[in-house]
Amino acid sequence: MLDLAIKNLLENRVRTILTALGIIIAITAIVSLGSISTGLNELVTSSTATIGSDVIFVMKEFDFSEMSGPPGSFEIELLSAEEIEDITAISGVERAVPIIADQFGGLFELDGLDLDSVDLFGAEDLSFEEGGWPDNEDKAAAIGYLVARSRGVVVGDYLTFEEEEVEVMGIFEEGSGSYDLVVLIPYEYAEEIYDMEGEAMQLILKPDDISYVQEIKDIINNDMDGLSAMTMEDALAQMEEMTGTLNIMTFGIGFVASLVAAIGIIITMYTSVLERRRQLGIMKAVGALKKTILKQILEEGIILSVVSSVIAILLSFFFVDILNNVLLGGSNLALITPELAIGAVAYGVILTIISSIYPAWIAINTDPIKAIRDG
Amino acid sequence: MKGNIFELKNVWKTYCNKGVETHALRGLNLTIKRGAYVAIIGPSGSGKSTLMHVMGCLDTPTKGTVLVDGKDISSLKDDELAKIRREKIGFVFQAYNLIPGLSAIENVAMPMRFSGHGKKESQEKAISLLKKVGLENRMHHKPSELSGGEQQRVAIARSLLNDPEVILADEPTGNLDSKTGREIMDLIEDLHKRTKKTVIIVTHDTKLADRTCNQIRMIDGDIAK
Repeated sequence: MLDLAIKNLLENRVRTILTALGIIIAITAIVSLGSISTGLNELVTSSTATIGSDVIFVMKEFDFSEMSGPPGSFEIELLSAEEIEDITAISGVERAVPIIADQFGGLFELDGLDLDSVDLFGAEDLSFEEGGWPDNEDKAAAIGYLVARSRGVVVGDYLTFEEEEVEVMGIFEEGSGSYDLVVLIPYEYAEEIYDMEGEAMQLILKPDDISYVQEIKDIINNDMDGLSAMTMEDALAQMEEMTGTLNIMTFGIGFVASLVAAIGIIITMYTSVLERRRQLGIMKAVGALKKTILKQILEEGIILSVVSSVIAILLSFFFVDILNNVLLGGSNLALITPELAIGAVAYGVILTIISSIYPAWIAINTDPIKAIRDG
Repeated sequence: MKGNIFELKNVWKTYCNKGVETHALRGLNLTIKRGAYVAIIGPSGSGKSTLMHVMGCLDTPTKGTVLVDGKDISSLKDDELAKIRREKIGFVFQAYNLIPGLSAIENVAMPMRFSGHGKKESQEKAISLLKKVGLENRMHHKPSELSGGEQQRVAIARSLLNDPEVILADEPTGNLDSKTGREIMDLIEDLHKRTKKTVIIVTHDTKLADRTCNQIRMIDGDIAK
């Protein structure tokens, strides 16, 4: 009976195409937005692998509720040179690495730190596609692949921070996880650029032994005023919370889009059933069972949704390509995984089946006598 | 097989509209023998269409029993009625009632598709029936490309598809000019003679009714005595 379902869909092409458009827009929105979430999730997961679980991050205590307004409108308080000294003196701390960090370009981050201590972040084994690590005495940077692509720089070019031109000495290979998004410069150079003296936004501690982690964290959190310490695990939990929020937003937008599509499907199927009342009546008169009619209506819906969803997935690949190349500077951050694609098609089909229930119910209950007499 | 194809006993059909009851059939009793060629005649509003719907299992009586081929249909559900229609009854309607988007072959083959037969098998049978009603050259046309007489021939071919016991024809010539109408009646008559199927024609045209073997005249929801 599939041939009959296709015939019916082709019978009123304009209506079929308009409904398909509704489904295509909804699924494309879900897949395109979902690809960003998926990409960010992958990034967070890959960061877990590179950064050791035995390091402790120390910052000034701050209240999330104060983080309002546009980016840059609030400032994280700096750790003073004395505080850094006190923390470094806690017994069991092997190394303390101060970091001066600055967000730029939305996604990117500049970090000024002791370049001999990058092993704390699992960065010592990073491969370079061009150039290499600057020394702590150099006034230069090692930068992420995405930073290089979005700014269009190669080794030997300059990036500008606070009116200071910073030479690019090395570019990490693509796929270095969160290092795709960073600019690393020596701590002293960052001090100079940002006009600081021994201060830091963050202090990274490496304990003598992993068993001291909790103890050191407790001392800082409980005994030192206005300071906050967390482990990589805590930090990851926070990041996951953030990507979780993003996921919810993404799928929220997708959900609204699919509600609109569902209403479109209901209206189309409903008017199509009303228009075909006579045809359905004839089918029943010559012996079609309710399940035969139901099957045909559902078949129409499934054909419509499978074709639309597949078109939507193809469109999404196109949009994600634009997203990656234009907005994210040649990155592959937005990612359509097979799970996402298959899930979106399945969602489109389920959405259509649910939307077809009411029209199908009207169809199977068509009174053959009325339909034939009025026709 | 001998015996009665239809036995109706004290059949009532009552419609209720805004609290007003209308009796379309009033305690009607009727027996039709297998292989009969019968016309049901009467003025409009006499209940002949309602009677045809009840005999054709499109509707059930409000009261009374209706035996179709020995089976009581008065309390059957929608799908059970549909099965009886599919197996035992072929319909020919005044307005042909073909499906506009389908070709003659697809229209004729449709009832067989409903009973789960494949496309090829159904269409082969449809083609042989369309040849029998003289439409071998018009089989791939859609209803809108066929004349009224041709459409009614397609409908007759469709009614024969599942080899039913009964052909129920409701004003089969009502939409046709008199020459085409005669041709359609010739076809139905020929069909009756060749297959010995029960043929029941509902009409208000007495000329048409005169061609049948028996006439049942209806007045006010019952058979005129």
